[in-house]
Amino acid sequence: MQLQYFLLLAAALFCIGIYGVITSRNAVRVLMSIELLLNAVNLNLMAFSNFLDSTLIKGQVFTVFVITVAAAEAAVGLAIVLAIYRNRDTVDMEQFNLLKW
Amino acid sequence: MGQFLLETVWLVPCYALIGGLLAVPWSPGIIRNTGPRPAGYVNLIMTLLAFVHSAIALQLTWNHPPQQVFIPWLSTAGLDLTIAIEISSISVGALVVITGLNFLAQIFAIGYMEMDWGWGRFYSLLGLFEAGLCALALCNNLFFSYIILEVLTLGTYLLVGLWFSQPLVVTGARDAFLTKRVGDLFLLMGVLALWPLAGTWSYPELAEWAATANVNPTIMALVGLALIAGPMGKCAQFPLHLWLDEAMEGPVPSTILRNSVVVASGAWVLIKLQPVLSLSPIVSSAMVGIGAVTAVGASLIAIAQIDVKRCQSYSVSAYMGLVFIAVGVQQDEAALLLVLTHAISAALLVMSTGGIIWNSVTQDVTQLGGLWTRRPISGIAFIVGTLGLIGFPPLGSFWALIKLADGLWETQPWLVGIIITVNALTAVSLTREFCLIFAGKPKQMSERSPEAHWPMILPMMILLGFTLHLPLVLQSLSLLPDWATLNKDVALLLIWSSISGCSITALIYLGNIPKPIRLPWKGLQDLFAYDFYTPKLYRMTIIFSVAKISQLADMIDRFVVDGIVNLVGLFSLLGGESLKYSTSGQPQFYALTVLLGVSVLGVWVTWPFWGVQFLDMIFQISTIR
Repeated sequence: MQLQYFLLLAAALFCIGIYGVITSRNAVRVLMSIELLLNAVNLNLMAFSNFLDSTLIKGQVFTVFVITVAAAEAAVGLAIVLAIYRNRDTVDMEQFNLLKW
Repeated sequence: MGQFLLETVWLVPCYALIGGLLAVPWSPGIIRNTGPRPAGYVNLIMTLLAFVHSAIALQLTWNHPPQQVFIPWLSTAGLDLTIAIEISSISVGALVVITGLNFLAQIFAIGYMEMDWGWGRFYSLLGLFEAGLCALALCNNLFFSYIILEVLTLGTYLLVGLWFSQPLVVTGARDAFLTKRVGDLFLLMGVLALWPLAGTWSYPELAEWAATANVNPTIMALVGLALIAGPMGKCAQFPLHLWLDEAMEGPVPSTILRNSVVVASGAWVLIKLQPVLSLSPIVSSAMVGIGAVTAVGASLIAIAQIDVKRCQSYSVSAYMGLVFIAVGVQQDEAALLLVLTHAISAALLVMSTGGIIWNSVTQDVTQLGGLWTRRPISGIAFIVGTLGLIGFPPLGSFWALIKLADGLWETQPWLVGIIITVNALTAVSLTREFCLIFAGKPKQMSERSPEAHWPMILPMMILLGFTLHLPLVLQSLSLLPDWATLNKDVALLLIWSSISGCSITALIYLGNIPKPIRLPWKGLQDLFAYDFYTPKLYRMTIIFSVAKISQLADMIDRFVVDGIVNLVGLFSLLGGESLKYSTSGQPQFYALTVLLGVSVLGVWVTWPFWGVQFLDMIFQISTIR
C-alpha cells in the first residue's frame, strides 16, 4: 500500500466527478457529481494525513469539516434545485441557459 | 526735383496699385448709390500720374548709367532676399510703354465698358496688371520676377473671368490659369536650381556668373529648359498656347493689354535671362525651335480663324515666337525692339477691331464687311497697325525684323527664311481680316455700323499717331540701324514678302473668288481652323493622364488606405460579435472553462518539473513504434 495509489484513486474519482458535473443534464446528478468531487478530496486528505502526518492527523480534522460543509452545501444545492423546479417545472440543465450573451 | 523723380521711379508700380485699390469701393456691393464710373476715372488719374512720372524719369535716365536701388525684404539664415530695382533707360522706357498703353486702354475701356456695372472689379484688376508689369520691368532679380509673374497669372485668371456667368469664360479663365501656372512652376524649378549653381538671383550678377561659368552641360541644359518653360507659358508658345485663344473670352480692353504687354512679360524675363540661357546650346536651339514652330504654326492658324479676336491672338503667339528666336540666337536688342514695336501695333489692332465688335456685336469676320466707307478711322488704324506689325519699311516692326534677320543672314539663313515666312503669313492673315471686315459688301451684321464714340476713337488715334511716329522716335534716340550698313537683300526680301502677302490676299478677298474660301484639302483647313486640335490633344494626353491618376489615387485612398483602418474597426466589431457566444448561459460550460483554465495554468506552472520527461516519454513511445 502506497500513498500514490490512494492519490491516483482520488484523482480518478475526481475526474469521474468532473465528467459528471459537466455532462449531466439532470441538476440532481450534478449535485451528486459534486459530492463525488468532495469525496475525492476527502480521500486525498485522509491519505496525506495517514502517510505524512500520522501523529497530529490534521488531515482527518479537515475531512470532518469537509463532510460537514458538504452536507450543508448539498442541502442548499437541493433547495436551489427545488426553487428552480418550482418556477420552471424541470431540472434539465440545458433549459437553464437564460443568462447568456 | 528731376533727380528726386528719378530716384523715386519705384513709386510707379505703387501708383497703379493704389489706383487699383481705390477702384475697389465702387464695386456694386459697397457703394450702392453712385454707379461704378468713378472707379475708372480714379484709375485713369493714377495711371496718368504714373505715366508722367515715368516719362520724366525716362528723359533723365537717357545717357546715364543704370542705377540700382535695393529694398530689403527678408533675410534669413543663408538667404538674403533683397528687392533689387534697376533704373535704366530700358526699364524706365518699358514703364513708359506699359503705363502709356494702360492709359490708352483705360480710356478705351471707359467707352467700351459703358453698359457694364463691373467697373470696380475691372479697373482694380487693370491697376493690378499695370502695377505688376511695371514692377516686373523695374525688378532686377529673378526671384522677384517670378513672384510678379505668379501674381500676374492670378490676375489673368480674375480678369479673363470677369464675366463669370458665361460658361466659356469660366473654362477659358481656368485654362489660362492652369497653363500659365504649369509654366511658372517649371520656372520655379529652374529658379531654385539656379541658386546653388550661381549663388545669386540678381540679373547682372547672373550675367557675370554666366560669363565665366563652367557648369555640367546636362545640368545647365535642364535648368535652362526649366527657365524657358515659364516664358513659354506666359508668351503662349507651343504647346502651351491654347490659353491665349480661350483668354479672348475676356473683355476687349483687357485684351489690348494682354496682346501687347502681358504676353510680353514672359519675353521680358527671357531676355533678362539670355546670358544664363546661352550657356547651353541645347537650350538655345530649343528656344529657336519652339519659337520657329510657334511662329509658323500660329500664323497659319491665324489665317484660318473666323473670330477676329482669335485671329489676332494667334498673331501675338507668332510674334512672341519671333522673340523666342531672337533670344535663342542671343539677339537681345532685336528682341526688345520687337517687343516694343509689336506691343504698340498689336494694341492698335485690338483697339480698332474692339471698336468694330462694340457696335457690330459679332466677332465673326465672315459676318462683317463693307465698313470702310462708314468707319474710316477704324480702318486706317487697322491698316497702320498691320503695317506697323509686318515688315513695312518706315514703320516699327520692319526695323526690329530686319535687325533680327540681319544678324542671322550669315549664320543661320534658314531662320531668316522662317522670319520672312512668318512675316508673309502675318501679312496674309491681317490683310484677310481687313478685307473681310472693311472691304466687300456690307452683310447683315454690319449694315448699320456707325463709328464708335470718342473714348474709343481717341486712344486709337493717339496710338495710331504713336505708331506712325515710332520710327522717328527710335531714330532720334539712335536706336535704328543705319540704312547704309543694312543688308539690302534681307530688307528687300522682307518688303517683298510683306507686299506680296498683302497684295495676294487682297486679290483673293476682293476678287471674284467665291466666299467663304475653301482650301482644296478640307482636312488641312480644319486642322488650322481648330488650331491643330490642341484642346483634343490636351484632353487626350495631360488631362487624361492626370485625371486617371487622380481617380486612381482617389480609389486607393478610399478603398486601400481607408479600408485598412476601417478593417481594424470591423475586426474588433466582429470579434465582439462572435466572441460573445462564449457566454453560453450553460453553467456546466462555465465549469468546464474554469477547469480548463486551471489545468492549463497548472500545466504551465509545473511544466519545468515534468515537461521534459513527458516529452522524452512521448518521443520514446513514438520511436518504439
